[in-house]
Amino acid sequence: MFRGFLVKTISFVGYTVQYGCIAHCAFEYVGEFVSCSGPSMEPTITNHDVVFSERVSRNLCRIQKGDIVIAKSPFDPKMNICKRVMGLEGDKVCTSGPSDIFKTHTYVPRGHVWLEGDNLRNSTDSRSYGPIPYALIRGRVCLKVMRIQSHFLTYILPQRPNHKLFEFELLPFYVVFFQEFFFSSIKQNK
Amino acid sequence: MFRGFLVKTISFVGYTVQYGCIAHCAFEYVGEFVSCSGPSMEPTITNHDVVFSERVSRNLCRIQKGDIVIAKSPFDPKMNICKRVMGLEGDKVCTSGPSDIFKTHTYVPRGHVWLEGDNLRNSTDSRSYGPIPYALIRGRVCLKMWPPHSFGVLAESPNDGRIL
Repeated sequence: MFRGFLVKTISFVGYTVQYGCIAHCAFEYVGEFVSCSGPSMEPTITNHDVVFSERVSRNLCRIQKGDIVIAKSPFDPKMNICKRVMGLEGDKVCTSGPSDIFKTHTYVPRGHVWLEGDNLRNSTDSRSYGPIPYALIRGRVCLKVMRIQSHFLTYILPQRPNHKLFEFELLPFYVVFFQEFFFSSIKQNK
Repeated sequence: MFRGFLVKTISFVGYTVQYGCIAHCAFEYVGEFVSCSGPSMEPTITNHDVVFSERVSRNLCRIQKGDIVIAKSPFDPKMNICKRVMGLEGDKVCTSGPSDIFKTHTYVPRGHVWLEGDNLRNSTDSRSYGPIPYALIRGRVCLKMWPPHSFGVLAESPNDGRIL
């Protein structure tokens, strides 16, 4: 009886480890859902928004200017930051504020990226701590998921911060339209 | 017959993915074998040595001064570097050479480490590119596996007196 119990426990642990490893690899190589907090990416991503960050672009080194990325914080290895890539290696970035008389520039070194939050007044980013190594980037944020009543609406995030109102709202309009059509047709079939 | 072949292929792919994921997690959370190249860690680690780097210390944030670590290169995300940790966050490290008259010092910022190779004359490390974020560290080298005559735990730093 004890032996049967031991065998069952070992096989349960074995299955847990097996499926845990598969899930971990899915999060590592495909993508993961991330809950963002803080005001530094407003109005694109607000506090408590859930986004989906994919890992494929980062593994293939295809992160481009304008992408929103999740990266490990250079000052705390256990925390992540969510910012927009405003400069790749070799780019010239402006380090002075809009109110400064004398403009200062710097070049992003090899293997680094320059990150800035969309909410420039309330964001600690590369303007204060400099460019961060590319290897700290974990994934690229591609979708924002919002739940309204019983629908999950997904928004494709724009490539530029504070994009023109017309273009920013047109895309989610089509996504919402598609979702409404899709879910309503499912309800009718039921 | 074709259906049997398809089922066998799918189950083979399924097993490969399954065991590949388990192996990947073992390398990610336990440790991995690394082949080192370059002269920057001589005489502790020479060219073409194979070492075992464990991941547990790094995940539990227990990397200490004097540990040899494998880290991602800050200048090339696809390359790794192997250096010794000579300063943790908050430490005061000496940035001037031994032949300089005026000694200069700097403090390692929060969340960063100061890396130096054992072969100080022939090593590109934090003395040239500054401290690197702790999050770039992949693992701590704990054993040398190859060549067999130098198998075992690695030696202490040959450069003492630089940590203040």
